[in-house]
Amino acid sequence: MNSTPGASLFESAKKIYPREIGGRFDKLSKLATVVLLGLFYAVPWLLWDDRQAVLFDLPARKFHLLGLTLWPQDFPYLALLLIIAALSLFFFTALAGRLWCGFACPQTVWTEAFVWMEQFTEGTRSQRMKLDKAPWTLSKFRKKAGKQFLWITFSLWTGFTFVGYFTPVRELGADIVALNVGGWTLFWGLFYGFATYGNAGYMREQVCIYMCPYARFQSAMFDKDTLIISYDEKRGEPRGSRQRSADHKEAGLGDCIDCHLCVQVCPTGIDIREGLQYECIACAACIDACDSIMDKMNYPRGLVRYTTEHSLQNKGTRVLRPRMLVYGTLLLVLTVSLAISMATRTPLRIDVMRDRNSLFRELPNNVVENIYTLKLINQSEIPRSFALTVDGVAGISLDGVDDEITIAGGEVLTLPVRVRAARDSANGIATINFVVTATDDASVTAAQDSRFIGPTP
Amino acid sequence: MVSEEYQGAQQWSRNKQAVFTVAWISFLIAAVGTMVFFAFFDPVALGSLYDDVEISRDAGYATGFFFFWVLCAICSGITAYLVRTAPKRDRKHRQ
Repeated sequence: MNSTPGASLFESAKKIYPREIGGRFDKLSKLATVVLLGLFYAVPWLLWDDRQAVLFDLPARKFHLLGLTLWPQDFPYLALLLIIAALSLFFFTALAGRLWCGFACPQTVWTEAFVWMEQFTEGTRSQRMKLDKAPWTLSKFRKKAGKQFLWITFSLWTGFTFVGYFTPVRELGADIVALNVGGWTLFWGLFYGFATYGNAGYMREQVCIYMCPYARFQSAMFDKDTLIISYDEKRGEPRGSRQRSADHKEAGLGDCIDCHLCVQVCPTGIDIREGLQYECIACAACIDACDSIMDKMNYPRGLVRYTTEHSLQNKGTRVLRPRMLVYGTLLLVLTVSLAISMATRTPLRIDVMRDRNSLFRELPNNVVENIYTLKLINQSEIPRSFALTVDGVAGISLDGVDDEITIAGGEVLTLPVRVRAARDSANGIATINFVVTATDDASVTAAQDSRFIGPTP
Repeated sequence: MVSEEYQGAQQWSRNKQAVFTVAWISFLIAAVGTMVFFAFFDPVALGSLYDDVEISRDAGYATGFFFFWVLCAICSGITAYLVRTAPKRDRKHRQ
């Protein structure tokens, strides 16, 4: 991989003015931006059975995902989901390079939206460059103020939406209108809004170049069959300007007319003709730029194109290679096991805690009693009745527990329980088993072991 | 057509790189740490271990997050400092 060319190595902090370009990949990236941002801003407002469809209710320690409610105890699902996400990233990176960076990364997507606002208020690339060099006038101030207004409003809305994933968004909206937003909510909203403003407005490609760990180690997932954006050196060189009518082959020139359009459109300010560089986020803007020039020159498209190292060397590209099979198999196995375990998840949980204050109590009639605190969690959304039983010691019984225990949907019931057994059968330490079963559906059942302690014989 | 000179990516000073990288990476790790930690521990329950501490969940999560962030930043900051200020290997042995 090459670094940036020597000319710019020693120049400090230059601002990049990405030039706007139309084309196939530009359309794709606009579509991705609209869809992804659209989802981000719309999802908190969706309803599912009269409650917010997606709500990570941190104060209540419950995650609502459409019809599903996840509890802290369901953490393994989240961990599995994150592993699947990471594996997908590896898989798609090995297959098609930095698709994530170019089209789906929040940094790219929000930067794109911020650049649109910049173009809307300050104009095209050359207008923006001229504006920044020009002295402060009323018109410059108006344009800059307009941009800041759009950026800040958009950032605040973004921060508000972000918080809306964690607090009921409708109530939050009403609170904001009434200027009555609570401390932490306000803090996180402003925090996220400010991060968006800074990252998408000012840091932009510098986040990818200097701060993103994925950008640095993605090359470990690349091989010679990975789809990358590349300049076809054999076809392009020697580059040089020429008349449109001239026969460049006769003049000894390649297809590159050295127009620098691919450089001007690049959001990270690199020259794709220098080869694969880690700054390249694979946004494909240079492909669009070059194709538009090739069309004008009546040359075939694809001087800069999606290709693989092997295909540039005229060797065949293999899609099915060991790396892909390993990633693919792991991905499939994990996804299927996640789906199966989610589908067969029992919406009921029992936790048993033995009373720490006393080992046991001896009652009249040779009876020994132990005390426990049970936590029963009805993880379904409907109220349910449950039956509680205990076994493990001959003649063991529960005292003071109703035959039917009713728990509202999504509620935790803390239940003190006295367990009794005959003294003769309860010597020393025995393992007992609490079982709780829904009365309407015997398959909804959960069990947990505990210890029953009696006097030494 | 070549009207503007080659722009090139912005060059950050090494100090700026260090500060931003440390802040950002420790932020990410702190976010993961907070998530894992509070999946297992409820801030309200933790607070109730001490008689005179009463903490809301919101405040607990935020405190936990900033605690992790500072901790991670100290760790990666010191690491970055040590790596960068280590004595250079002398030229003779470099090859």
